[in-house]
Amino acid sequence: MKARDVIRRAGRNLRQAKVRTLLTALAISVGAFTIMLSLAAGEGARQYADNLIKSNVDPRSLFIVKDKTITGQGQAQSSLREYDASEGQQNGVTIKQLNKEDIEALSKRTDITDVRPIYNVNLKYLRIGDSDKRYKSEANVYNPDVLSEQVSGSLPNLGEDIGANNVIVPESFATTLKLSPQQLLGKKVTLTIEKATPTSFDITTGQAVNETKDIVLTIRSVVKPPKLSFTPSEAIQIPISVASEIADFTTEGTPAYQKYFAVTAKAADSTTPEAAKTALEKAGFYAQTADDLQGFLFTIVNVITSIVAGFGVIALIASIFGIINTQYISVLERTSQIGLMKALGMRGRDVARLFRYEAAWIGFLGGIIGVTIAWILGTALNPTIAKALDLGEGTNLLIFNPVVAVGLVVLLIVIAIVAGFFPSRKAAKLDPIEALRTE
Amino acid sequence: MIELRHVTKTYGNKKNVFTALDNVSLSIKEGSTVAIVGKSGSGKSTLMHAMSGLDQPQSGEVIIDGKDILKLSGKAVDKFRSHTISFIFQSFFVEGNETCYDNVSLPLEIADVPIGERNARIEEALDAVELLEKKRSRAKDLSGGQKQRLAIARAIAARPKVLFADEPTGNLDSATSEVVETLLFEYSKRHNTTLIVVTHDPDLAKKCDMQIVIKDGKIAESISAKQPHKKGAKR
Repeated sequence: MKARDVIRRAGRNLRQAKVRTLLTALAISVGAFTIMLSLAAGEGARQYADNLIKSNVDPRSLFIVKDKTITGQGQAQSSLREYDASEGQQNGVTIKQLNKEDIEALSKRTDITDVRPIYNVNLKYLRIGDSDKRYKSEANVYNPDVLSEQVSGSLPNLGEDIGANNVIVPESFATTLKLSPQQLLGKKVTLTIEKATPTSFDITTGQAVNETKDIVLTIRSVVKPPKLSFTPSEAIQIPISVASEIADFTTEGTPAYQKYFAVTAKAADSTTPEAAKTALEKAGFYAQTADDLQGFLFTIVNVITSIVAGFGVIALIASIFGIINTQYISVLERTSQIGLMKALGMRGRDVARLFRYEAAWIGFLGGIIGVTIAWILGTALNPTIAKALDLGEGTNLLIFNPVVAVGLVVLLIVIAIVAGFFPSRKAAKLDPIEALRTE
Repeated sequence: MIELRHVTKTYGNKKNVFTALDNVSLSIKEGSTVAIVGKSGSGKSTLMHAMSGLDQPQSGEVIIDGKDILKLSGKAVDKFRSHTISFIFQSFFVEGNETCYDNVSLPLEIADVPIGERNARIEEALDAVELLEKKRSRAKDLSGGQKQRLAIARAIAARPKVLFADEPTGNLDSATSEVVETLLFEYSKRHNTTLIVVTHDPDLAKKCDMQIVIKDGKIAESISAKQPHKKGAKR
């Protein structure tokens, strides 16, 4: 029997059991819908992450450390090992840190520029304006490569640092202080820092005294946390010179003095970030490029996509049993028809093919329904999702790819055919004499 | 020419053997009409199944057109069934939800008749049973007699050499039975097609050239009708 005839007969048989066909197809479409949406979300998240990195990270930037465990390149260190003066604590984990010589060595290199240590900035407290009220806040180093959205005041051009006496405060400060952002501009921020080790001894109280120091900065602008940012934390932003001063002052006399857990730099124009990374590795430094970071983010996105798609796969597996069940019922219902076809000389192979093609039709139908609904619904909901998640104008979280859609439908057809295997075999093995006796 | 030599078919296991056909030998001339008569359970259906390659007797030979169909491969038996023989059943087995056209198309599809030839052959077959104007009607909308005529159209569409009819009038009233019988006998005569009818009905049996009476799996009697040139069965 010709495949064309078998396919036509299969389609006709399904039309005769419309409701059953549709219900079975709907079961599959649930899986198709879930998988399609999760793939669309994954694609959207990847593009979003890509935008995020492009707008946050200079593609030439490098993140340099001495401990390869940080960049995920090495094994964690053994808990008992030889003493190394360069080790220090970072977030409770002992890692190798960079010291002044390392920074100098890095600064001298020609393949990287803009070497900036990451300073550990610890504030005791801060005061705003002339008030004596003490506040606690995090402080970050101003990153000239990221432009925040300013509420009031001004920001330097991209790539330029803020003045040595400037500070940028987040919008939430205005809310906390019950002032308008404009009123904050020009106000003084007094940062009080304290040495980590005692410097004198108070005879009257019998307690060690840690020397403190005040640094006075002027609020230059009030900003919103950037939408596409890795650090949505509401911290004040200080110039790097101030950060250096704070770090040196607070850590003086401790093992952390002039030690840095990481350094940021940029690959020089004469080389590529990849080449710089390799060269650095030879010199005993481990670097992470923008591409590495992207790869890392994509890994996270892929893992999440896989988890959601996994639910879709589970739904699909459930629907496979639906197909098997439907097809078994169909075989039982059409026992005499199968008997007749076999009596008329239809090959068992062709009978099996008939039922497999019916399953394929169901898979095709379910795939088309699921993918179409996901596509329409996703496209319709995209603006709402972008708004709800505050992704920014014109950002689509769900991005549908026609190739993926077609691939998914084809996959479902294949799965349906596999599911139809057992019922079709039962049909093929029916004894025509027995089958024709049933009526 | 159909020839059966020492065909034996048993059912069941060693302890409980039921012999459905017991060393049956017979010969049927091409183009003749044959009635297989007998009570229920006598083995007449088994005989038909053995002659049509649906059943596999344990021993003996079934020679049709010079070939022993019991020695053919499964594929060849299927080809034999789709090209050489066809069936008509008591309960019609027409596909109710399909049109008459699609019902008749089935054996042609199975026999791999080229698409271009099908339409003419389907219409010819439907015309022969006077159902051409019902070609687009669904089979379930037909009356019982019409359904059996449709089954005849389906059976003759592939132009078989042997037509098996298993109680073709068993579910029909006498008037419609008459129509169906006439159709079958006339078709057999016109196309020199061997017609083998399994029946309870003595009136129908009498219309055949030869009657084979089966009893307990054996041929009890073989009656040749009026035409003297048609030989009876060999014992």
